[in-house]
Amino acid sequence: MTELGNICLWIALLIGLWGAAVAFMAGRTHRADLGRSAERSIFALWGLLVIASAALMHALLTHDFNVEYVAAYTSRNLPVFYTWSAFYAGQKGSLLLWALVVTTFGSIALVVNRGKYQELTPYVAGTIAVIAVFFIATMVFASNPFERLGFTPPDGRGLNPQLQNPGMVFHPPMLYLGYTSISIPFAFAVAALVSGKLDTGWLHAIRRWTLLSWLFLSCGIVLGMWWAYVELGWGGYWAWDPVENASFLPWLTMTAFLHSVMIQEKRGMLKKWNIGLVVGSFLLSIFGTFLTRSGVISSVHSFAQSNVGYFFLIALVLFAVGGFGLLWWRWPMLQAEVQLESMVSREAAFLFNNLVLILIAFTVFLLTIWPIISEAVRGTKVTVGPPVFNLVNVPLGLGLLLLTGIGPLIAWRKASAQNLKRQFLWPTVAMLVTAAALAAIRMSYASSILAYALGAFVTVTVVQEFVRGVGARHRLHGEMLPLAFVRLVGRNRRRYGGYVVHLGMVMLFAAFAGLAFKRETEVTLKPGQSVDVRSPYGWTYHLTHQGISQYDELNRFVTAASMDVSKDGKYLGTMKAEKRQYLDSMGQPTAEPATEVAIRSDAREDLYIVFAGSVQGTEQAVYKIVINPLVWWVWYGGLVLAFGGLITLWPSAQGPTPASRRRAEPAGYVAQVGA
Amino acid sequence: MWRKSALSLLALALAATSLAAQTPPGAGPSAQDSALSRQLKARPGDSLGRLEVPEAAGRGVAAVTARDNSALVRALEEKIHCTCGCNLSVYTCRTTDFTCTTSPAMHQLVLARLDSGMTEAQILDAFQRQYGEMIFMSPPRHGFNLVMYFLPIVGLGVGLGLVVGVVKRWGKVAARDRVERAAAPEGVATPEELEKLKHVLEHFEA
Repeated sequence: MTELGNICLWIALLIGLWGAAVAFMAGRTHRADLGRSAERSIFALWGLLVIASAALMHALLTHDFNVEYVAAYTSRNLPVFYTWSAFYAGQKGSLLLWALVVTTFGSIALVVNRGKYQELTPYVAGTIAVIAVFFIATMVFASNPFERLGFTPPDGRGLNPQLQNPGMVFHPPMLYLGYTSISIPFAFAVAALVSGKLDTGWLHAIRRWTLLSWLFLSCGIVLGMWWAYVELGWGGYWAWDPVENASFLPWLTMTAFLHSVMIQEKRGMLKKWNIGLVVGSFLLSIFGTFLTRSGVISSVHSFAQSNVGYFFLIALVLFAVGGFGLLWWRWPMLQAEVQLESMVSREAAFLFNNLVLILIAFTVFLLTIWPIISEAVRGTKVTVGPPVFNLVNVPLGLGLLLLTGIGPLIAWRKASAQNLKRQFLWPTVAMLVTAAALAAIRMSYASSILAYALGAFVTVTVVQEFVRGVGARHRLHGEMLPLAFVRLVGRNRRRYGGYVVHLGMVMLFAAFAGLAFKRETEVTLKPGQSVDVRSPYGWTYHLTHQGISQYDELNRFVTAASMDVSKDGKYLGTMKAEKRQYLDSMGQPTAEPATEVAIRSDAREDLYIVFAGSVQGTEQAVYKIVINPLVWWVWYGGLVLAFGGLITLWPSAQGPTPASRRRAEPAGYVAQVGA
Repeated sequence: MWRKSALSLLALALAATSLAAQTPPGAGPSAQDSALSRQLKARPGDSLGRLEVPEAAGRGVAAVTARDNSALVRALEEKIHCTCGCNLSVYTCRTTDFTCTTSPAMHQLVLARLDSGMTEAQILDAFQRQYGEMIFMSPPRHGFNLVMYFLPIVGLGVGLGLVVGVVKRWGKVAARDRVERAAAPEGVATPEELEKLKHVLEHFEA
């Protein structure tokens, strides 16, 4: 099977090169036969990569340890669930997954848009083929998943213990889906630039893809945070690690695009900016992989480092020169159709929103690569840790939260004083009351007070919109309130889905603000000894060390330290924190013991217990105990965010707005001029 | 009713557990049996039993004292980068990555330097002499590092300037367009509108 997989990769490389060449020729010559050939090349690429993926999966599931990748990431006693996830646990497998997903999405995009955007389609197919060729060539020439060893080991090295967690099964593919789905908007942007067909038609074609990509990235990021929280045992979920930043950067630029594209659709403005954002997002997705795979910056994700960095660096430069070169070439054709009239308008609010998002992206990018810059310029490597990231991003984040409330409510073109009063009176009152109440109870952190006050502001703006919309439907159509609510959302999914996303963001900001009140302590306890830990809410946890037990479980040997927990005298239960020594099929340790934390979570706070180790091999245990306020809101905020994204993504009978449809046709420009 | 059922089930489970604990070795122990027997072995009667497989509980740790995590020690160690290759401060690494041997050693060095009477600034200087600037979690705010600290602010200024400038320029154009449209007779386009129309028609006919 692996020989078949290898052959498939080579054939895919040749077909990809053919597809890319004929696609661009088809675009230039308008030859339908070449266009069809290019389209079929993408389908053939997909088919070949499916076979190659099946071959790798077969090797993993049948424990073919002669294949280097299988020996490096699996072992005979690895549960099937994680054997399956080993497909993308290492670099070689994840490159195959990238290529497979790019061609899958490319094929879907070509099928869905068949008969539409005929001037764009050949270039879209060509761009997808180029991207696929890059990944296939990297596999074939630098990092082949089917590479064989000179001998067959009796067992594999097994999967990194930290990756043996359900969060790690879903987090990487989600991020890969997010990264790869940006390829489709990028392909359409390139097609629009090359063909010169720069009306909003290409934006209609990519709308769902951009939302899908944003949704996958959002889910991938939140799942990654969850994995870090439950698996790494440091009591946090975001450390501004370079690999975390790599996933955050395209998310920021995609979020900016999702907002600014509305201005182009509604008002025919920001055309250059939007194309720049799509190209930039794609480049950042490649940059993310470059950062992960090159090992250029040390990080906790060092298990993913290897030698394909140069391939990614060259690709990054070529795609950047190509994408921005095309934008520069078409610059004169991308003039705004109307001009912005006032600083107090929705267009201006969205401009400021974009400014803040891009500034955060710029800052995160700069701080992430600063150690490399410093080393290159001064020969001195420096460390840029979380304090520096927080110093800049906390105020910017708060500014973004404020704009989250202002943007959706302020009027298009120019807001009147009456409009401002009508829309912002109650949100402002809520903000001031919240700030005053928190100051009155002596909340100690100004940034947290500001975050909660702004959160109240945004929440009231969203609730007010729903209340007014439902009320209007109830009065006009006599609908019952629940029915009016469902129809209100159903008739304008993009708008109300967006509001739900904003509520999710408020929940996330509330959780981030709660981090300021985190409390942690380290204690050493003998069995029967206790410690009291005071919560920031005022109650006290009484924790009693019960002892340490050791036992076999699946593919590991567990050392579990148990604690009885009570809160203000009320018994809550026993919490068990573990050390897991993973073993291969011959009972030999595969890595150092991994930490498994014990977490008791509710909407107010998490009690988070880490078993640090035993003192001199006795039952005397060292514990790290953390009280983390409002962590629950990160996970549920993420769910609300994803739910809002799904509402927005759900197909609507109406399609694009009339203004946007008008801009998709050449005659629409005349209509605008006459308006 | 359900409470009674739950209690009965619990009693049954407890009884089964005690039975399992009495199962003699070699009688085909399951994972659970093995766990219980190991735990029983680990309690030889004194208050501080020994683990049967101590190495499975990770690197042995020393008992934590109040001084290990005093406010001063923690503040110092949160400024120092662990050199094991992770991206964490010494404090976070030694209280998180229990496989790391570098951060506990750096912690001992911090304690020793405090014991020798060095001030916080002197300790940080000593670490910098030993490892260079990369030892700090935040690069020192001088020289070339200032570029890193000020670039986001410059970016904000430039961005704000651009947005405000663009909005003002567009605002003037829009106001002039409105005046011209108001002044133009019904059905007659302004020169800009005619230019746009011409451009669109050329594009349409191409």
